[in-house]
Amino acid sequence: MTIDLSSIEKFLCKLATEKVGPIIKSKSGTQKDYDLKTGSRRVDIVTAIDKQVEKLIWESVRAQYPNFKFIGEESYVKGETMITDDPTFIIDPIDGTTNFIHDFPFSCTSLGLTVNKEPVVGVIYNPHINLLVSASKGNGMRVNNKDYDYKSKLESMGSLILNKSVVALQPGSAREGKNFKTKMATYEKLLSCDYGFVHGFRNLGSSAMTMAYIAMGYLDSYWDGGCYSWDVCAGWCILKEVGGRIVGANRDEWNIGVDNRTYLAVRGTINNESDEQTKYITDFWNCVDGQLKYD
Amino acid sequence: MVLTKQELKEVENTFIGLLKSEIGPLIKSYTGTNFHSYDDKSNGVDLVTALDKQIESLIKSVLSSKYPSFKFIGEETYVKGATIITNDPTFIVDPIDGTTNFIHGYPYSCTSLGLAEMGRPVVGAIFNPHLDQLFHASKGNGAFLNDQDINVTKRPLILQKSLIALEGGSERTEGSQANFDKKMNTYKNLLRESGAFVHGFRSTGSAAMNICYVASGMLDAYWEGGCWAWDVCAGWCILQEAGGIMVGGIRGEWDIPLNRRCYLAIRGGCDQIEQKQFAESFWTHVAGELKY
Repeated sequence: MTIDLSSIEKFLCKLATEKVGPIIKSKSGTQKDYDLKTGSRRVDIVTAIDKQVEKLIWESVRAQYPNFKFIGEESYVKGETMITDDPTFIIDPIDGTTNFIHDFPFSCTSLGLTVNKEPVVGVIYNPHINLLVSASKGNGMRVNNKDYDYKSKLESMGSLILNKSVVALQPGSAREGKNFKTKMATYEKLLSCDYGFVHGFRNLGSSAMTMAYIAMGYLDSYWDGGCYSWDVCAGWCILKEVGGRIVGANRDEWNIGVDNRTYLAVRGTINNESDEQTKYITDFWNCVDGQLKYD
Repeated sequence: MVLTKQELKEVENTFIGLLKSEIGPLIKSYTGTNFHSYDDKSNGVDLVTALDKQIESLIKSVLSSKYPSFKFIGEETYVKGATIITNDPTFIVDPIDGTTNFIHGYPYSCTSLGLAEMGRPVVGAIFNPHLDQLFHASKGNGAFLNDQDINVTKRPLILQKSLIALEGGSERTEGSQANFDKKMNTYKNLLRESGAFVHGFRSTGSAAMNICYVASGMLDAYWEGGCWAWDVCAGWCILQEAGGIMVGGIRGEWDIPLNRRCYLAIRGGCDQIEQKQFAESFWTHVAGELKY
C-alpha cells in the first residue's frame, strides 16, 4: 500500500487551521473551572474541551482515512494502547494544557501519523500566534504552508556546540521523586559554568511547540522526560525533515521509538555533519545527573 | 516640575512611533543573522553586539532632540557607580532586551523604552517585532497591547495555581553564597510538591517580555534577580497601569527603587489584598538574599 503523505499533510493542515485552531483560540484562558485529573493539587490539568477537540479530530480523520488507526491523549488506555506497524494517527488535541488554562499563548494542536512506527507526517498549529509548522517524510518542512528555507537558517546559526546553545527544558507535572530530582540536578549542571554552561534555557510549556521551534532554528535542543508519543510524534517528523535528530534523554539511548517517554531532540547542522550532532548529544548526556524512568 | 497626563501620553506616542518606524524593523532584520564576533560580557553568556550600541545611540539622538532637557540612561552607556537615577525626567532604555534570543534568532528579543520621573516609572513602551507585540502605557492613561486596552480577566490569584516566569540568567558561578545557587534553590522550592507546587514556570529569555506577559495576565508573576533599571522601567509602568504591582524579590520589600536589581512582578485582575498575600507566600520560598 502506498500512502500519499503529502496529501495527508495538507488534510491535517486544513483540519488544524480551520477546525481545531479556532476552538483552541476562543477557549484559551477562559477556563476558570477545570477538573483536576487526580487529587486537588495535581498540576496536570485536563479540560472537557480537550476531549471535545479530540473527538472532532478523530471523527474528521476517520471519515477521510477509515482504515487508519488512531491514538489520542484523551482516549489512550495505559497498557492497552499500542503503536503497531499500521498507519496510525497519533495526536494531541491541545498540547500545552497549562498554557491553555493560563492564557500563555503557546498552546497548540499536534497531529502526527506513523507508518511502521515511524513518524511520517507532522502538523503543529498554534492559533495564538498563527503559526502552522508541517512536514511529511521526503517532502521537507513548511511554515504557514510555505516551504521553509532551513538550510540558510542553519548556516546563520553556526556550529552546534553545547556551551553555545539555547536549550528547552520543562520540569513537567510530577514534582517529587527520582525523576524530578534528576531533572533539577541536570538543569543545574547544564547551566553551571563548571559543566554544560549553555547560553541559556527556555521554557515554552509545550513539547510540540518546542520541537517546531527547534525545526525552525530558534532553539538548539530540547531535553525532557515524561511526555508521550502524541506530544512528540508530529514534531519528530518535522524535525527529521530538516536534519534534526532525536535520541533518548538518558546516556546511550541512541535508538528509540516514539513512545520512549524520554527524549533529547537536537537541531540539524550545516552540511548534515552527523559528527557534530553526535558530539553534542554525548556532551549533553554528560550533564544528565541520574536516570529518567517512566512506567 | 511634574509632567502632566497629556505630556506623558505624548512621550508614549513618541516611543511608539520610534519603535514601529525605525527600531523594530532594524531588530527584526538583524536577529539570528550570523554574528561571528561578539564581546563576552559576563562568563560568555551575556552577549553584546555592536548593533546594541548602534541602536542605543539612534534612540538617544531621537529622544534627546525632541526632549533636550530630559536625562538619558541606557544599557550600553551606563557607567557603574557614576550613572545615577535622579528625580529629573529620565529616559531609561534597553536597545535590545533578550540579547541571547537576538543572537540565536529566538523570537523574544525586544526594545524597551521607559521614562522615569521622581525616580518612578511613568511611561513605558516595549516592542517585540518578531511577534508584532507592542505593549505601551503611561501613568494615568492605561495600558495597551498594540491598539487594544489590556484588560486582565478577573480571577483568583493563588501561588499554587500560578504560572510564573523564571530565568537562568548569565551569572552561573556555583557556591553556597552565590546568587546562582540561591536562584536554583528558589526554583526548586517553587516547583516541589512539598513546596509551593506552582502550576509551572516559563522562560522567554527577556525580562521586558516577561513583565509584559505578567501585565497582560498571560503569566501570573515574574521573579528575578540581577537585572537592571533599563530591563524593568518600561515594563513596570505597563504593569502598574494594567493593575499589577512590582515589589522586591526579597521578603518585606514592598517599596523598592528602580535599580533594586531584585524584583517580583505580580499581575492584576484581582484584589490588592490577593496580590499582597501572593507576594508574602512567594517570599517564603526565596532561598536567601540575592546580592548585587
